[in-house]
Amino acid sequence: MGLGLLLAMLALWQLASRFERPDFILSPVEIASHFAEALRSGELLPHVGASLVRSLPGFVIGSLVGVILGLMAGVARGLDQLLSPVVFLTYPVPKIVFLPIVMLWVGIGDVSKILIIALACFYPCFINAYYGARGTPTLMVWTSLNMGARPSQIFRKVVVPSALPLVFAGLRVSLALSFILLFSTEMINARSGLGFLIRQSESSLRFDLMYVAIVAVAMLGYASDQLLLLVRRHVLAWQEATSR
Amino acid sequence: MSVHRLLPASTFRRLALLMVGVLVWELVARSGMFSPILVPSVTRIGYQFWLLAIQPESLVEAWYSVSRGLSGFALAAVIGIALGVLMGRSALAAAFLGPLFSGTYPIPKIAVFPIFIYLFGIGSLSKILLIFLECLYPIVVTTHAGSRAVNRVLLWSAANMGASRARILWRVVVPAAAPFIFAGLRIALPIAMIVVIITEMISSADGLGYLVMYSLASFKTDRMLAVVVAIALLGVALDWLVVRLRDRLVFWERLDSYYAE
Repeated sequence: MGLGLLLAMLALWQLASRFERPDFILSPVEIASHFAEALRSGELLPHVGASLVRSLPGFVIGSLVGVILGLMAGVARGLDQLLSPVVFLTYPVPKIVFLPIVMLWVGIGDVSKILIIALACFYPCFINAYYGARGTPTLMVWTSLNMGARPSQIFRKVVVPSALPLVFAGLRVSLALSFILLFSTEMINARSGLGFLIRQSESSLRFDLMYVAIVAVAMLGYASDQLLLLVRRHVLAWQEATSR
Repeated sequence: MSVHRLLPASTFRRLALLMVGVLVWELVARSGMFSPILVPSVTRIGYQFWLLAIQPESLVEAWYSVSRGLSGFALAAVIGIALGVLMGRSALAAAFLGPLFSGTYPIPKIAVFPIFIYLFGIGSLSKILLIFLECLYPIVVTTHAGSRAVNRVLLWSAANMGASRARILWRVVVPAAAPFIFAGLRIALPIAMIVVIITEMISSADGLGYLVMYSLASFKTDRMLAVVVAIALLGVALDWLVVRLRDRLVFWERLDSYYAE
């Protein structure tokens, strides 16, 4: 039904574009043909590669550090008192404002973008992992203690699995954030990447290429989200089974 | 819960941590290791912050940013809550709108900003609408989840006592979903701030995001960092306001927040 609605909207758009319209509005069929053309001419793929080289390391570093520190702060009181106030108080700060400073410190290249993306991805992962670890049922911890489990075993076998659903929720938010930050950093300053392509084709009035880049962004965002959900279904197979 | 966490000892520790950070920054800045353009000292940033706070023109810039952010956010809150409740209580609406929202959720909406500029102009309207679009999703998704999870017994008893459909929605469903709605609002608010700053950095001649880029381009890093501090404080203050509002409206359930009572 959702797919039907989407198709209906596309058809309506196609029909509406038969009328008089400004240059910057293209019909779906035109966009699709431009997309195929850009794929063939090699105008698109290098930019996709450049964007992925920035967003993937940023996402991986930020979310890895966030999940690990969040889990540890969830179980260790000392770390909790040291880290949590700082993280929770700086959480509402829009991380993009640090881009100019980071640019000054490490240069205008890819490293500054990766660092900003990592910083933004850190927060949702930390917070979700933290609450996930703290939400471990006390009964399970007692039970495993009673059966002679060591603290490290409890962490690996009890705390981490029970935190995983929330960790994945955090990863999903981080993934979406990493794309927002990727495209905005590329729109602000870059010589490659999809954000740059959108900006450049917009300012040189090449609306065909602009739409192609926007479609590529949408597909990239959608595909990576689906990939994450696939991983989640595999890792959390036990949870899906019980919640159904 | 939160009251116990926030005994003076932890407040003191937090302040001490902040002081240590500021002190280290000041020492590094004064040591002469880096150029003052790269690492301006805290006193210079503080002086610039003071200038920002007393100059009417910089307050106007802040007002531009806040008004754009809040307009988009408020629009998204009103429409998002209405859509979410509708999807939660009507199978037809859920069947139509559900796949639409979940399908376009992971798509970064920032990519359509150039089209928005062409459609709605380069002024505030295109920015407000992009903020609206980005904020709409978390609010709709959480409200939808919240209004689906309403206790059936409450709905039955309200219907049994002769409440109309509209009255049930307003007096039972919305209050029951309120904790979820506020969770969505708290996700959406930082997004609104991010988007307002980003759009002002990309294309604007006013607002705090523009001020950051302008100070950077003229190598006034102390001024830039003062604006960054101002944006950070604004973000925290707005989040604090939402938490306050939540504690007011959802008085029966306390949030474990990190704000001192």
